[in-house]
Amino acid sequence: MTYEAVIGLEIHVELNTPTKLFCDCPNDPGNAPNTHICPTCLWLPGALPRLSRTVVEKAVTACLALNCTIQNRSAFDQKVYYYPDLPKGYQLSQHHHPLARNGSLDVDTGNSVPRHLRIHHIHLEEDVAKLIHDTEGCTPVSLVDFNRAGVPLIEVVTEPDIRTPDEAMAFLKLLRTRIRYTGASECSLEKGSMRVDANISIRPQGSTAFNTKVEVKNMNSIQHVGDAVAHEIQRQTACMEKGDPIVLHTRLWDPDKQVTTPMREKFAGPCVPDPSVPPIQVDDAWLAQKKAALPEMPDRRRERFVTDYGLARDEAGAISRERDLAEFFETIAKRYTHPRKAANWIISQLVPALRDQDRVVSQVFLTPERFMALLTLVDTEEINAAAAKAVLVQMLSTDQPPETIVDTHGFRQVSDTGALEKIVETVLTGHPSDVEDYRAGNPKVMGFLMGRAMKAARGKANPKLMKEILTRKLSQ
Amino acid sequence: MDSSVFSFTPLPADFDAADALRIAVQPGMSCRGWPAGAGTTALENFTALEDAFVIQQLKQTGMVIAGATRMSELGLGLTRDTGALAVTDGRADAALIIDYLGEARAAGAKARIFGFKPSWGSVSRQGLTGLVPSMECWGITGRRILDIQQVMTAICAPDDHDFSMHPGPLPDFTESHQFQDRAPVIGVADGYDASLTPEEIRAWKSGLAALETAGCRITRISLPDAALFSLAHHIIASVEASSSAGRYDGVRYGHRTSASDNWNEMYLKTRGESFGTLIKSFLFQGAYFQFQQYATFEQACRLRGLLMDQTLATLSELDGLAGLTITDKADPVAAQTIDHTYQAFGFTLPASLTGLPAVQIPGLACHGSKDFGLHITGKPFKDPDLLALARFLENMGNTGGTP
Repeated sequence: MTYEAVIGLEIHVELNTPTKLFCDCPNDPGNAPNTHICPTCLWLPGALPRLSRTVVEKAVTACLALNCTIQNRSAFDQKVYYYPDLPKGYQLSQHHHPLARNGSLDVDTGNSVPRHLRIHHIHLEEDVAKLIHDTEGCTPVSLVDFNRAGVPLIEVVTEPDIRTPDEAMAFLKLLRTRIRYTGASECSLEKGSMRVDANISIRPQGSTAFNTKVEVKNMNSIQHVGDAVAHEIQRQTACMEKGDPIVLHTRLWDPDKQVTTPMREKFAGPCVPDPSVPPIQVDDAWLAQKKAALPEMPDRRRERFVTDYGLARDEAGAISRERDLAEFFETIAKRYTHPRKAANWIISQLVPALRDQDRVVSQVFLTPERFMALLTLVDTEEINAAAAKAVLVQMLSTDQPPETIVDTHGFRQVSDTGALEKIVETVLTGHPSDVEDYRAGNPKVMGFLMGRAMKAARGKANPKLMKEILTRKLSQ
Repeated sequence: MDSSVFSFTPLPADFDAADALRIAVQPGMSCRGWPAGAGTTALENFTALEDAFVIQQLKQTGMVIAGATRMSELGLGLTRDTGALAVTDGRADAALIIDYLGEARAAGAKARIFGFKPSWGSVSRQGLTGLVPSMECWGITGRRILDIQQVMTAICAPDDHDFSMHPGPLPDFTESHQFQDRAPVIGVADGYDASLTPEEIRAWKSGLAALETAGCRITRISLPDAALFSLAHHIIASVEASSSAGRYDGVRYGHRTSASDNWNEMYLKTRGESFGTLIKSFLFQGAYFQFQQYATFEQACRLRGLLMDQTLATLSELDGLAGLTITDKADPVAAQTIDHTYQAFGFTLPASLTGLPAVQIPGLACHGSKDFGLHITGKPFKDPDLLALARFLENMGNTGGTP
């Protein structure tokens, strides 16, 4: 029998607001343990939650980016569960009345028609404390760090529309891109600002039934989500074929062993409305403002880059994936005569250089104006491409225009014919057998000799001129 | 210094407060540096880190926090509570008593002094160690309505720390609220006396007669579902308590069990050892509705809305809704079970459920040596009018207080 998977995702996204959800403590869980705490996020007796307006605004923006309908009224509940990472015994979460409902993303999975994957709802909730398991001498101890307690999260709950690991990964990538565009979160699974749980069940192909699902947690990258979902589909399929029942439970993904293993359940009960946090009322005028302020989303921007600047679709997709990079490109494209050349330089040179430094374009000294100046130096043959790449790397960490870097480091291109002829003659004299080989009809030798000549010129030679001289000398 | 009245006080017994009002508080109300165990083992080592907003306001207006009284566990009911005793013993001019069911008003009735519960949302709950968030508030007992008015003038103010406060203008106690130009209109529910004992009926009639003698106009009103107040209160309050009391885990600042195999065991044992029988019963009942009968909890919430609507509609034509404060059937000071507690507070809990202001007036609803207290519920956020009415009755009749 052929089975198909039914997959739903629950995605926690940590909002990057300056403060926590219900108090003024800095939203910076990575600091020294228990330094960003107060009576409210420690939930001391008598402390009351104070809802942050900034959190609501960022959450609404993220929900709009996921095409959700913002609810006029949403409210917090006490989600009761007992575990030491939540010593107050309940988490404030919007169980009954979430902030937003009925969203969707049209996900490109390589087919001609994108997959329309629905979002059931998005709710706000506070993060819990972090447990640290350690030893004091030989005694195992568990410590609690409250820096993370009260950090604002949105939880995106999808409909069970996803059918394959690839769809799950494509959905997460698009969701991450769109939320990043709003500036509400970095959405990094690796750094913990995005966490994904997957609910997976299988059924015979063609069936519309929803069978018992298994929840998988602890996936620290989008690739892990794909791997874990694929493994769980295999595991459940094997169970079905053996006639073993699928039992409702939660499993942990082990990325080293590439398997899921059962985990201990936390006790959880129904949610009770919380009277201390007043309901969130969203009026139409305020919502209209937020919608108007929403940035152009990456998929629309990609199409526009194709139309407006003549980029290929994959080029436009690569450029528009991150908002600051797309804006960087467009500032250049509006003023530079060869936008596609700029796009190629960004994709092939700038993006890898940024990745090497683990930074984004807004975090470096490089400005669109300076990048444009660098490209102009190449266009006017002031420097060659190899030198431009070296200058670009320096421009990321140096607050100087490219001309200054070029002059300071002697990157300017050599176009002096006499000097280049001497270099070529030296190279040809030093490689007589290769010269003979070329003249005997092996054109591939040209590349080798050209490389030698450029190296002898320390990469500064005008390559076009160098090749002309080399060709001429070899044919003599 | 401890005493039978105070569990903690920084003041000597002969402390002279001069003209300042002396306020007794409960150890569930945060006073910086004071023990704040709220009468429960779960919090027995907790010391308040900061003053509650209310305490700050009282201090700012020159009042003296005289000491922390003894209190029932987490303030539910009145067993062990010495708030009213602090007033009648002359150790304080007013005592603050957390009010879920009518504790401050019932304490007033038992001690034959005044008791008051403000509108929910008119006084910040910051710093109050509560159990039932949608009902809990700072109740006040005092010998004189004037003292209660002064306390309310100090504490009824906006507080950025409590987002659940009334978003509109708060009651203004500095304005003049008097009943000299017209007769107050007091409503009495049809069939109210049907459940009263003969002795209570006589006291009730005596109270009504006193109201009429004072110039009030008594009018009959209909509250068809009044019998359901207690049921709705019981279900909602116990569920809220069951959920909210998770905060008082004991592990962090109260009693922590001495032996356990793992942390889950440790939490379970600690909670089991930390709470007394009454609170445990209440939490179990709430947990039952929360986990087994959630639909019933939702029905109770809808019922609360219905009762609120009925009460507000009734009050629109009235200055107050009258009844007795306490009953002979169960003693609020001695109630040891949830059933007895609900019986003992049956007359006061409707105001807690609906969040309305209510006042207990001594000396009017009496029979023989017994004073059942006259209980008047006011309109939402018309707390100054209600206290003005109480003061009017205080001045017109023998209420036992000091005019």
